[in-house]
Amino acid sequence: MKRFNSTAAKIAIAASLGFFVVLWVAMVIAGVSGGGRFPLTTLQPQGPFSTLIDNLVAPVFIIAGIVFVGVLGTVFYIVMKYRVKGDPELDTAPMPRQTHGHTAAEVTWTAIPAAILAVVAVLTAITILDLSAEEPDSLQVEVFGQQWWWGFRYDVDNDGSFDSDSDVETAAELIIPVGRPVELSVTSNDVIHSFWIPALNGKRDAVPGMVSPWKIQADEPGVYRGQCTEFCGLSHANMRMLVRAIPADDYDRWIADQQKPAINPLAAQARAGLAEFNNNCASCHLVDGVNNEQLAETPAALVSGIAPNLTHLMSRGTFAGSIFNLHYPNPDGNNQPFGATCTDADAARLR
Amino acid sequence: MTVVDTPLELSSGNGSTSRPFGVFARPTGGPGWRSWLTTVDHKKIGIMYGAAALAFFIIGGVEALLIRAQLWAPRGTLLSADQYNQVFTMHGTTMVFLVVMPIGAAFANYLMPLQIGARDVAFPRINAFSFWAFLAGGLFINSSWFLGGGADGGWFMYAPNSTVTFSPSNGIDFWNLGLLITGIASLTGAVNLIVTVLNMRAPGMTMMKMPVFTWMTLVTQFLLLFAIPVLTAAQFLLLFDRNFDAAFFDVSKGGQPLLWEHLFWIFGHPEVYLMILPAFGLVSDILPVFSRKPIFGYTFIVFSGVAIGFMGWGVWAHHMFVSGIGPVSVLVFSLATMFIAVPTGVKILNWTATMVGGKISLTSPMLFCIGLITMFTIGGLSGVTHSVAPADTQQTDTYYIVAHFHYVLFGGAFFGFMGGFYYYWPKVFGYLLNEKLGKANFWLMFVGFNLTFGPMHVLGLQGMSRRIYTYDAGYGFEFWNKLATIGAFVLASSIALFIFNIFYSKVKAKSLPKPGPDPWDSRTLEWMIPSPTPEYNFDPIPTVTRLDDFWYRKYGETEDGRLVRIAATEDVTQSAEGEHNVHLPSPSYWPLVAAVGLPIVGYGLIFTWWLCLIGGLITAGALYAWALEPADDPDAGHGAGHDDHPVAGAAPEADLVDADADAGTGAGANGEGADAGTNGEGVTEREVETVG
Repeated sequence: MKRFNSTAAKIAIAASLGFFVVLWVAMVIAGVSGGGRFPLTTLQPQGPFSTLIDNLVAPVFIIAGIVFVGVLGTVFYIVMKYRVKGDPELDTAPMPRQTHGHTAAEVTWTAIPAAILAVVAVLTAITILDLSAEEPDSLQVEVFGQQWWWGFRYDVDNDGSFDSDSDVETAAELIIPVGRPVELSVTSNDVIHSFWIPALNGKRDAVPGMVSPWKIQADEPGVYRGQCTEFCGLSHANMRMLVRAIPADDYDRWIADQQKPAINPLAAQARAGLAEFNNNCASCHLVDGVNNEQLAETPAALVSGIAPNLTHLMSRGTFAGSIFNLHYPNPDGNNQPFGATCTDADAARLR
Repeated sequence: MTVVDTPLELSSGNGSTSRPFGVFARPTGGPGWRSWLTTVDHKKIGIMYGAAALAFFIIGGVEALLIRAQLWAPRGTLLSADQYNQVFTMHGTTMVFLVVMPIGAAFANYLMPLQIGARDVAFPRINAFSFWAFLAGGLFINSSWFLGGGADGGWFMYAPNSTVTFSPSNGIDFWNLGLLITGIASLTGAVNLIVTVLNMRAPGMTMMKMPVFTWMTLVTQFLLLFAIPVLTAAQFLLLFDRNFDAAFFDVSKGGQPLLWEHLFWIFGHPEVYLMILPAFGLVSDILPVFSRKPIFGYTFIVFSGVAIGFMGWGVWAHHMFVSGIGPVSVLVFSLATMFIAVPTGVKILNWTATMVGGKISLTSPMLFCIGLITMFTIGGLSGVTHSVAPADTQQTDTYYIVAHFHYVLFGGAFFGFMGGFYYYWPKVFGYLLNEKLGKANFWLMFVGFNLTFGPMHVLGLQGMSRRIYTYDAGYGFEFWNKLATIGAFVLASSIALFIFNIFYSKVKAKSLPKPGPDPWDSRTLEWMIPSPTPEYNFDPIPTVTRLDDFWYRKYGETEDGRLVRIAATEDVTQSAEGEHNVHLPSPSYWPLVAAVGLPIVGYGLIFTWWLCLIGGLITAGALYAWALEPADDPDAGHGAGHDDHPVAGAAPEADLVDADADAGTGAGANGEGADAGTNGEGVTEREVETVG
């Protein structure tokens, strides 16, 4: 074996190891400090359920970090200490003492990780049960996913059904009252999606043919973003979701507004918009009080059988899988939707 | 079964000279590319597995670079959404089924028979068939690029997104049928290697004297044996849904999407362990060599591997924590997953203890092994963080998971394989890879690997979802994605350096002394035979008395654990000039032909039914010919100077065996067993041992 200990090589190795340390330190700093600035971060809980998760994750990360530093440090120390220094060919040191094993050591290092994990296991079990407990006085909302948007049905009269007359259906944006738990019944109309608002809770898959319970709650008013996380086909990347938490009074007013059917427009521009809607959109999209009968006769020719309900569209902050913004700026401040082809004139007519 | 009370020795091809079916005469061996097509030699098959896997690795690597280039900046436009979905699906499929699994198979095929002192695997022709079926399946899947586009459902292929309604192109059919074919390859290979380990060990080699790599191969093949049928069952359901209008996953007709998830992950989780365990085995054999100490806690290393193999069956639903399986299931699988970290941790600590007090030579293979220990530890720890189910509801399907399994499969399995390549290269090809380049290779790969996959931890925790072809600015994704993309190209350059090293070292080797049988002063049996391995492996078959038998032919150990050299290496290694006549299995056309029929059936199912007929006839015909071809051909090549023609006194036995074969009771199987027979002594002793 040739020697490989020139100065350049030593510098390269030190640089590689140094790089490794710097990278990981930078990553830890980014994880601990930077997360809060970003809309989808999992590290800044904004509600009780995400806080439960965070309280469990934090110690686990710390334990993992200690083991990480411990194991890597030990391996590094051992390698540095016992490596053959200089040219192996010229090495005359005697062969090391041969050890074949040590039962007590084996038992110890089987038992210690098992004990650490047992502690983590207890904490995990408690959290899993807490997170699956039913919430009293919760708002019931059905969440249904389809390629590539989310619809929401509110059980306003609390009768266990989501399509009574007084119930409200909307899409793209889930409006919830601040401080009240919201129990979600998550399902899908076509393929598997996943509903995820990182600031409010973990994710829950929307599986066709299944209704899965999930719950969210926001402590403060605000807009909480999410992203579909179960690969669901072509536009999976653009299947975003959004929760807007508003004070309870505002929420009650909002529900009352949503229960009203759309107003038949009188102004000339608005009538032109209605004609446009009837020509281009009404065969799939429903606006309550405008085309209920038409859509009931000929259901939409879509795989999921349903397109977003557009009643009171302009009361929403966002539409089309939450990638087109009506009122919210994008995180980068750019309000122009990605790939938008809708001109201002079109938009004006549609109002 | 007829009772053969004489040793199972097919001492001569003498009896077969009558050639009852002349048309099925076996091909003759010899050099040249044709010999690779008909070979049944486990070493050539191992090399072909490795070469094919590296070729697929380059394809999968290019796909990875496309993914990283697309994600370089927000709203990348290099790939369309459709192209991106195909590329990441094929990247995952290729890396799992066509790279990591076959590299494991390459090492298992080449090394395991050598480590147990066997002449070949138990069923050499089935071994060849396994390789050709794997290659046929791999090429079949990749041919989809030219026939309408690759699969676009993700390597996990969740239904109903993978049904015709949602993916009407043929890509998923290619994926499905191709993996059914590679599944056949894996299954036949698993049976073959299990039988080999259990039945063909050299005299004296009890199970607890086997090298760790052989143990891990055994565990891996058992995992394959039970895991692949589950995937196959799931794939048949998908096949019927897609091609014959069944409705296993169609909710509107009473189907159940979670059925696919369960079946896929009952396969998929053991799959993870069967990808990593061969690398664990390699590390366990390489670390002691370069630490100059025996493996610490051999029994614990072996049984923690077995424990991982068993526990790996009870954790599949941790891939489904968010699928709505209910809190009790989540709890059970969460705890089971946590505790599988225990045997894994035992391995890591034993490897570390192996190095303690040793005399560590930081050669390239050793560097890669240390790389595995450290990088796999990171992957293992992030694995523990998502065994905590509530945490996993935040982490799953984000880039945090992508980081985790790349630390396991690249930082774990692939680093181990790289160590194996550098370590075994002289044994396989007769020349050492250049050490300077090897070390540069390691450090470049170490930096590139961490730069690629480290930032993905941060991306995932900041909420970047997996499998998205684009992302927007303002989510904190830009910087870390750029780092990862740079890292991917550094990583690619380290692979390029490895390939360069192969050719560079080959040229340089002409002016260097030959490495000899034992260039690293190693411990296991494969190092006592010449490099490159002669076709007949051992001559004679060694008798094993203890673990690391070869080592203890060179060294003795005093009572206080000091090593004493007791024999020069040259005196205990075998020379290329053997003393015995060696019988070897003859080459055969039929494994290749049988495998060629399979993808033709696949094309038939996709495009036009009559191709199924042609493909089916080819495979069935080849199997017939296989069964009917003579068990041996006297003219076949049997290795350098070790011709097999009868010596006086062997004839009666030959007649006996031949008569048995002619009687027609499983002639093929009989021939196969006899083909692969080690020397008679070995078999008899082993049988006595089994009975006893």
